[in-house]
Amino acid sequence: MKLVLDNLTKEFGEFVAVDHVNLTMTNGVYGLLGVNGAGKTTLMRMLCTLLKPTGGDIYCNGKDIFQLDGEYRNLLGYLPQDFGFYPEFSVKDYLFYIAAIKGIRPIVARKRAKELIARVGLTKVENKKLKKLSGGMKRRVGIAQAMLNNPQILILDEPTAGLDPNERIRFRNLISELSEERLVLLSTHIVSDIEYIANEILMMKGGAIVNEGTLDEIISTMPEKVWDCIVPQQSVSALTKRYKVSNIKSENQSVNLRIISAEKPCETAICVHPSLEDVFLYYFGEKVGDENDTF
Amino acid sequence: MMRMTRFELKKIFLKPVNKIVFIILAISLCVVSYFAIGDVDYVDENGEKSTGIAAASALQGKKNEWAGYITDDILRKVLEENEHIINSEEYLSTDMIEKEKAYSKKQGFSDIREMINQAFGGFQDYNYYRADSVTQEEIRSFYDRRTDNLIEWLNSEEQESRYSEQEKQFLISQYGKLETPFYYEYADGWAALLEYAPSIIMLAVLITVFLVSGIFSDEIQLKADSIFFSARLGRDKAIAAKIKAGFIVVTSVYWIMILLYSGIVLAVLGIGGAGCSIQNGFANWKSFYNITYLQDYLLTVLGGYLGNLFILFLSMLASAKTHSKALAVTIPFIILFIPSFLNGISVLSEVLGLLPDQLLQVCTAIKTFNLYQVGTKVVGAVPIIFVMYSILFCILLPVLYQVYRKTEIK
Ligand SMILES: Nc1ncnc2c1ncn2[C@@H]1O[C@H](COP(=O)(O)OP(=O)(O)OP(=O)(O)O)[C@@H](O)[C@H]1O
Ligand SMILES: [Mg+2]
Repeated sequence: MKLVLDNLTKEFGEFVAVDHVNLTMTNGVYGLLGVNGAGKTTLMRMLCTLLKPTGGDIYCNGKDIFQLDGEYRNLLGYLPQDFGFYPEFSVKDYLFYIAAIKGIRPIVARKRAKELIARVGLTKVENKKLKKLSGGMKRRVGIAQAMLNNPQILILDEPTAGLDPNERIRFRNLISELSEERLVLLSTHIVSDIEYIANEILMMKGGAIVNEGTLDEIISTMPEKVWDCIVPQQSVSALTKRYKVSNIKSENQSVNLRIISAEKPCETAICVHPSLEDVFLYYFGEKVGDENDTF
Repeated sequence: MMRMTRFELKKIFLKPVNKIVFIILAISLCVVSYFAIGDVDYVDENGEKSTGIAAASALQGKKNEWAGYITDDILRKVLEENEHIINSEEYLSTDMIEKEKAYSKKQGFSDIREMINQAFGGFQDYNYYRADSVTQEEIRSFYDRRTDNLIEWLNSEEQESRYSEQEKQFLISQYGKLETPFYYEYADGWAALLEYAPSIIMLAVLITVFLVSGIFSDEIQLKADSIFFSARLGRDKAIAAKIKAGFIVVTSVYWIMILLYSGIVLAVLGIGGAGCSIQNGFANWKSFYNITYLQDYLLTVLGGYLGNLFILFLSMLASAKTHSKALAVTIPFIILFIPSFLNGISVLSEVLGLLPDQLLQVCTAIKTFNLYQVGTKVVGAVPIIFVMYSILFCILLPVLYQVYRKTEIK
């Protein structure tokens, strides 16, 4: 499986949401990391043939995906970022319906749906109406529907957003399991998700991919150093004004700061190994959400 | 495909608000049937008025005493009988009950008497007492008077420029083609059925739109559209399944309503008179369409079906294009109510005669004098709207398919 994005561009009027993206993806898990409004969803929608690019092309194994049409969508599983269900359908009904519009034969559909319901842990609620499910359960139904056709290309837009920490870990593991032998592209603005699941990281900013590579590669591209220093309370504001600070932790009278800087920011600073979070901060100039989505 | 259609239907039938829609449909059916049945009343020899199955059957008995061809002899007998009654004590009394008693005796030939009123009144005038002064001599011109009135009207000052010579000839020849003498029989069941048919047909459109307007907009409103359109069949067969579901809903709701309505009304009022020509009564005396009650009924219900299909698919197209259920729901209301505001403007009459609301009331359109030149032929509005909207409906389906197919998720 090979997806090639060739100068892919999407403009909404004057605004460029996706800006000349060139990218080649093969089997493996790609983590698309970017702040709100970076263009992640727009890029994914084009990959799902939901939006027509205003420039450039997308090729699947050498063929234009918009020309392949149904044949391409047959390979595709998509979990949208913000999606809805038919509230009156039960979990089973819903999966059977999606299987039908995916063109899966009824016998196969029944077997697949049953397997997936068990896999995502929804067996107990399979006859419940969708409107009665919790947010986390709905997301499981979402991933189950994406997997129905055993897709070669799985696109997950912020699959872990809005989940509690336990649910997020379970969901993360589920995605890892499901990711074997296919091309998975998942977007998030949560760094730890990417660290756990993705083999390849794509950093997106202002519609463009600004950096790509494995975790180590990305970290090694960081031109500045990361410093850990313990300073008294009163010098904190001066330091945060001068440097990019990726973490602040108060300890009694003093404060532990994690600073990104080319030079040593203060006498007591110790040079430490950079994390993806530091790199994110360096490139995007702002802090990303951590596990609990606190900023 | 069938599987997808079944799910589309399931989406409609599981929606809680649609239960209310079905209740409203059932109520409409009962109310309209009730009115149609109440349209036929019988006054017994004591002057007491009643309606319902027994009344209809009594009236049928009275009227069918006059069943058969309305020859000069019969017409003369009607005049005699009428004269007898209007000179009776009961008729001349000022007491309402006594007057009703007199009317009771007239009921049997009241339809024929009404035709005499129309034949001997002007084309545009109506006088209930006109029959009372028609002489035995005059009555011989009964059938000729129908055409004579028409010609007089066509040549009158107000109408002179309205129709071309060819159109006038068309009307006159249509009148001439009507077979005389008329075969008469009690047909009040059909008359009442047709009188209220437009109401039930229009209610069907106005209510069914709530069921179908979501077929093409619910995915978008529920945000289920990304998954729908990224599925393999989401841009072809799944759309065809939606169209099919719309067709099934419109068709089944319409025919269930119509068949129940017709069944109830005819069961109570009787099915006699199906083969009588429609001119054979009060309402359609002037119509230039030479058809029977049964044909009128069939045209009305088939026209209503075509109208339901056209208007409801137009509204589905609107919801597919704009993603707005609210707009889709208002379309039938606009189509039905705008023409009635413009009705007074006579220059628009020809245009109004071809609007889709006419399909919902073919039995009314049949009484309207709108003529159109098609090539070298003159035709009435009814055949035109049947052909025109069948074609438009066939165009509508692929347009709907293409419009929905091109939906982008923004
Ligand atoms: N239909 C649209 N019309 C106009 N602008 C749009 C449209 N869709 C997206 N945009 C803009 O394009 C930019 C990228 O949006 P997109 O939803 O792709 O970002 P994102 O990276 O998914 O953000 P988030 O993390 O919040 O989901 C945003 O600035 C957004 O306002
Ligand atoms: Mg997004």
